[in-house]
Amino acid sequence: MMRNVLPRLIVLLAMLMPVLAHAENIVVVANPAAGVETLSRNDVINIFLGSFRQLPSGIAALPIDLPPGHPARAEFYRLLVGKNPAEINTYWARLIFSGKTRPPIQAQQVEDAVSMVQGSVGAITYLERSKVSGKLKIVFELAQ
Amino acid sequence: MHRKANGGNCLSGNCYSDMTTVQPFWRRSILLRAAAQVIGIALVVGLGFVLLTAHLTERFTQESVSQRVRELMTTVESTVQIACFTKDQSLALEVVNGLAKNSEVFGAAVVGGADVLAERRREGATSERLRLAQAGRVSKPIASPFDPSQIVGEIIIDPDPEIIRIRVRENGGFVALLLSLQLLVVVAAVVAVVLLWIVRPIKRMSDKLHVMDARSIEPLAMPPGQENTEIGRLVTDINQLGQRLVASRDEEHHLHLQREIGERKYRAIFENADSGIFVVDQHMVLESCNHAFYRQLGLLRLAERREEISLLGLPWRMPDLLAGLLDRCAVLNRSVSDDFEYVVDGKEVRWFSVTLTPVGDQLIQGQLTDISRHKLAELSAQQEAITDSLTGLLNRNGFLQRIDEEIMACGNEASSGFALLIVDLDGFRRVNESMGLASGDQILSITANRLRSCLKGGDIISRLGNDAFGIILRSTASERAAANVGMRISVALKGFFEVGSTPLQLGASIGITLFPSDGADQETLLRNAEMALDHARVGGSGRYTFFDFTMARNAEHRRKLENDLRFAVRRNELMIHFQPIIDLSLRRMTGAEALVRWKHPEQGLISPDVFIPLAEDTGAIINIGLWIVETVCQQLATWKRQGDDYYISINISARQIPDGLPPITLIETVNRYGVDPASLAIEITESVFMGDSEAAQTWLDAVHELGFRIYLDDFGTGYSSLSYIKRFPVDVLKVDKSFVRDMSEDNSDRALVGAIINMASSLGLTVVAEGVESAHQLELLEKAGCRCVQGYYFSRPVPADEIEAASRHVQQLL
Repeated sequence: MMRNVLPRLIVLLAMLMPVLAHAENIVVVANPAAGVETLSRNDVINIFLGSFRQLPSGIAALPIDLPPGHPARAEFYRLLVGKNPAEINTYWARLIFSGKTRPPIQAQQVEDAVSMVQGSVGAITYLERSKVSGKLKIVFELAQ
Repeated sequence: MHRKANGGNCLSGNCYSDMTTVQPFWRRSILLRAAAQVIGIALVVGLGFVLLTAHLTERFTQESVSQRVRELMTTVESTVQIACFTKDQSLALEVVNGLAKNSEVFGAAVVGGADVLAERRREGATSERLRLAQAGRVSKPIASPFDPSQIVGEIIIDPDPEIIRIRVRENGGFVALLLSLQLLVVVAAVVAVVLLWIVRPIKRMSDKLHVMDARSIEPLAMPPGQENTEIGRLVTDINQLGQRLVASRDEEHHLHLQREIGERKYRAIFENADSGIFVVDQHMVLESCNHAFYRQLGLLRLAERREEISLLGLPWRMPDLLAGLLDRCAVLNRSVSDDFEYVVDGKEVRWFSVTLTPVGDQLIQGQLTDISRHKLAELSAQQEAITDSLTGLLNRNGFLQRIDEEIMACGNEASSGFALLIVDLDGFRRVNESMGLASGDQILSITANRLRSCLKGGDIISRLGNDAFGIILRSTASERAAANVGMRISVALKGFFEVGSTPLQLGASIGITLFPSDGADQETLLRNAEMALDHARVGGSGRYTFFDFTMARNAEHRRKLENDLRFAVRRNELMIHFQPIIDLSLRRMTGAEALVRWKHPEQGLISPDVFIPLAEDTGAIINIGLWIVETVCQQLATWKRQGDDYYISINISARQIPDGLPPITLIETVNRYGVDPASLAIEITESVFMGDSEAAQTWLDAVHELGFRIYLDDFGTGYSSLSYIKRFPVDVLKVDKSFVRDMSEDNSDRALVGAIINMASSLGLTVVAEGVESAHQLELLEKAGCRCVQGYYFSRPVPADEIEAASRHVQQLL
């Protein structure tokens, strides 16, 4: 057991380093009209990774990704499913080439994402906590 | 290898044929058999290997297909994860299509949650293939790409069973091919090796043995390089066997030759044997016989015909006896033999000795020998045994047999009785001695003829011994008839015998006894006849006497006396009396004659005339004589002590000379008593000179030499011959009392006595006259010049203690 514990500890520390650097939680926000108070992590994963895009309220969910390269985007997927952006890209690449499932809509800017959420009932995106403004409903929070 | 069954070119006797039915070709070839067996074994093993290989190949292929399928699954797993997670059918179909392109994959499906996202299966598959494919199905649950713990679907792959089958077939085929090749090589190698090392040498041997002639077995060649192998040993063994075979065959041949020669030899012996040899079976039927058998039994005509002959059917006198012998032979199972009479050609009787020997198998071998000649010889020998060779009459044994036969005949009432006669020639011994044995024999032959002429045809005559003849008058039971014959014989034998030039006259005494009145058995009858004969003889020549029971009683009496006499000395029953002998010139008694007396405990005094002959007959005289010498010497010693110088004369019988009273005993006894031998006189009679005169002379000379004086007793009664007196050392003559008795009346006797006295004195001998009973006789004797006298006139014999009185009485008379 000790043999396994030590590498894991090191990995954990390494992962903590950037968190410590940014030290800001990522939250998932939805349109308040969507009728959703909160989402489970699975709900979030299903919606964002294309498995089940429906909000608990029955409204079709429309996930929106932050622009590629946005730190929050990488941080979100890292916190959500533990994968880096390249891995997420590979995932979607498979689906793009052969499947019907589409990746979330990609916002050009964070603001676009926010406005899309605000403007569409089923839309849903993620932000750094500090970036959350009104008219957005935090339905899930990814702690560092 | 293949050999013609029972080849006709078989030269030797031990050619073996195929005894079993013809076998399949391959079973008769070691090579093919070995090859077939190797192939069979290899096929079985190979098949096993192929099956094993197929099985293993199937297993391995299945394994590898599974492995491959799992690898495929792993390859597509991440994509399938995504497809399942997103339930994206397109992506799933993409994956499934990709999988289906693999040859190993028969069908594939991706299941996401409850839905089948995509499924693909090869077209045109049979249901069997389908079933097999599903049986080999491999499935794997698919986890979410983002949460390994969350199962979001499943991937299913059915491997293609065809591919396994093909693989198995390919591998199996390959292995089978390999094995086949190997088998081929192995079989080839086996065939080559067997052919080269086993079959070829064996075939060579076999071929050679096959044509080999048992009469000239040549050794087999040793196959090269096989010296130490089993084949080599086989060759060596066969060669040795062959040698032994040759040796034993040679030996057998030799034996066979010998046997053949032996057989021929025995055949020749059998055929040329003088004895008849035959073999009969248990039914007494002849199995075989030789020529002599036919010849001896007079069956030569049967020999030609060779027909069945029963041994017992031949003309034996008593076939039952022969049958008995055959039975005995069979039962005892050993050799038996006996003699049988056989009638040759219905007339000639021959004797055959038949010896039977069991030879096993219920056969009896027999031998018959013509013993007729032996039988005749035997009969004549039997005849001879009972015949007197001189006269041709029966001898004693034959006579005894005939007596028995006659007694038996009377027992059977075939005869009422018979008379038994014994005829004895008187004086025959004298003739024999004086004229020689040839003359004696002549007389006996004449006697036999004369006796024959006196008898009837049925009467039996025999020579019992020396001059005694036995006669049986058959059916003559009466005394008168027997007496007539006795008379006839008596007369016949009184006639002169012409022997040489001298006519001789002899007489015959005849004893007659009658059966059954006188005795019931042969022994008694003979004894009776002899007793009667003795009586006849005593009665004088030419007489016949019938047996009567007085004779038997007298004989019995005599026998008893004889018996008692044997113990008389020991029982002190004998005593000696002395009769004085007077010397007329000295006018006194000078000696005495010792006379023995027997006082029988029952019969009183018995006369010496009675018992001395008995003692002489039985030999008791020897002991008595010794006792007399002893007693007389004792008496002489007594008289000597008393101052009397009497001498004593003792009578010595011819029986005592020479061994009954040895001179040494005489001199020892007189010396022991200190007596002068001159005072003991030995009186003998002329009979002493008659027997073995040589021995008598020696004895008398010795006794005389020792100083004893010799008196010749009873002078004048016997053959008184001057030659005896001259030849033997006689000192004194005792003139017999018969002369003295007759002297007083008869002048011639007186002259005879006078002549004897004159002759004696001229020879220097003293004369003692015996039996002087009167003064007149004494006077005459004195006148004749007789020196000594003895007799009742002076004294009868008296005991020793009365001799003094007798002596005094003598003095008074003179």
